Amino acid sequence: MSGLPALVRWLWGISTAAQTVLCVVLLARGNFRKIPIFTAYVAANLCQAILIFMVYKGIAFRPQSAIPLAWSSQACIQLLRAAATTEALRQILKPFQGIWGLGWRTLAVAFGVIFLVAVFDSGRNISWAVLLMDRGFHLAFAIALVACLLLVHYYSVPIPSAYKALLGGFCFYSCAVVLANTLGGVLFLRRDANFQALWQLVTMCPFIAVLLVWAVALRKPLPDALPGAQVQDPKGVYWEISPQINERLRLLNEQLNRLWKPEVSRH
Amino acid sequence: MILTLILLGALVAVLLLGLARAFRSPKGPAAGSLAWSVESVSRAHVEFLPQIRQALARQDDEFLSRAGANLLRKRVKKERRRVALAYLKALRADFEGLLRMAKIIAALSPKLRVGHEVERVRLTVTFLWRYRLAQLSLYVGQGSLEKMAALSNFMSGFSVRLEAGLKAMGERAALAAEMISPSDRSGIHLT
Repeated sequence: MSGLPALVRWLWGISTAAQTVLCVVLLARGNFRKIPIFTAYVAANLCQAILIFMVYKGIAFRPQSAIPLAWSSQACIQLLRAAATTEALRQILKPFQGIWGLGWRTLAVAFGVIFLVAVFDSGRNISWAVLLMDRGFHLAFAIALVACLLLVHYYSVPIPSAYKALLGGFCFYSCAVVLANTLGGVLFLRRDANFQALWQLVTMCPFIAVLLVWAVALRKPLPDALPGAQVQDPKGVYWEISPQINERLRLLNEQLNRLWKPEVSRH
Repeated sequence: MILTLILLGALVAVLLLGLARAFRSPKGPAAGSLAWSVESVSRAHVEFLPQIRQALARQDDEFLSRAGANLLRKRVKKERRRVALAYLKALRADFEGLLRMAKIIAALSPKLRVGHEVERVRLTVTFLWRYRLAQLSLYVGQGSLEKMAALSNFMSGFSVRLEAGLKAMGERAALAAEMISPSDRSGIHLT
């Protein structure tokens, strides 16, 4: 711990304080009932920070176990992050069962494919495996999340501002980690003395910013499901009309295709 | 490694732009809102088709050419192109309006068929691409006005079918809303 620069230690302190504030806000405003997994994610982050602090201080575990412990606890955090994101999307899309069905599939497929590519890529070099896998996870996560949010936008589903802050925060932080891990790799290869401090700095500053945005967004109770969207189509008009619409659109496209092409003959 | 950093930096920029786009307020009526207006579908620009056809009749051009009024012919041609472009633009607005309605139907459905939705996105992208090409062909003076009329007729048929579907859905939604109204909650559960 003492090996780290004062600025990084300060950032650790600020980050822990921000996480504590966010936990308090979630509990005080009753939002933990609506987003329990997100609350668990924030609490787990806080516990991880305390655990790593104890390891560095030598209060618990041996110092050699700091890195494996940090990364293995990070795996749990990542899983909670993915679950918390799914939870937030579920809250937004609760009244739209059809879109939700499409949304979670998009999220799962996009994440699965990109993360698998990242895992295979990281397997080539064992020493870089953890760093590359972490970067791959965040990249896959950000791409899947943006894809899912674009799908939500395509169907004109309004997203309450608090949920925008939650999901935007997750995406922004993942993007920051992708860049931080790549930059960290560059500095490490150049044997830069400040590699660790810079990496910590680039990772922690966006995290603190995101925590503050979340705390501000969650200071009010989260909104309920959208009004006016409760009545679903019970008889499946969609199933009757959707193929017809697509057929019409297809033919319309053919018409338009003929429109721009020069005429071959004229009678 | 530097190249990776640059590529990932570009990818991150694209992702953040995508995020900003996804968070923009959606245009038109929100999904699930039953306040959509069937009139907006009926108020299609295809109803101006006879006037457009008359304005764009080829015989006029041939007559002016025979009469040797080249200056007037050029002016008429320019005006016609302007009208045709405006009409094409209006058709696109109709297309987008109808598509919006299709999205509302999808949003209200408890289950979507992935194939249908993907197909619609693909068709929309194709339409927009071809629309640009049609626009370009009109700019360079190769557009066929008869074909544009066929396109308008097509839009009209599509609009009628969709309108009927929306009406049916509106009736069912109204019935469901009536069933859950405070005055009649005798053990009916819709969810």
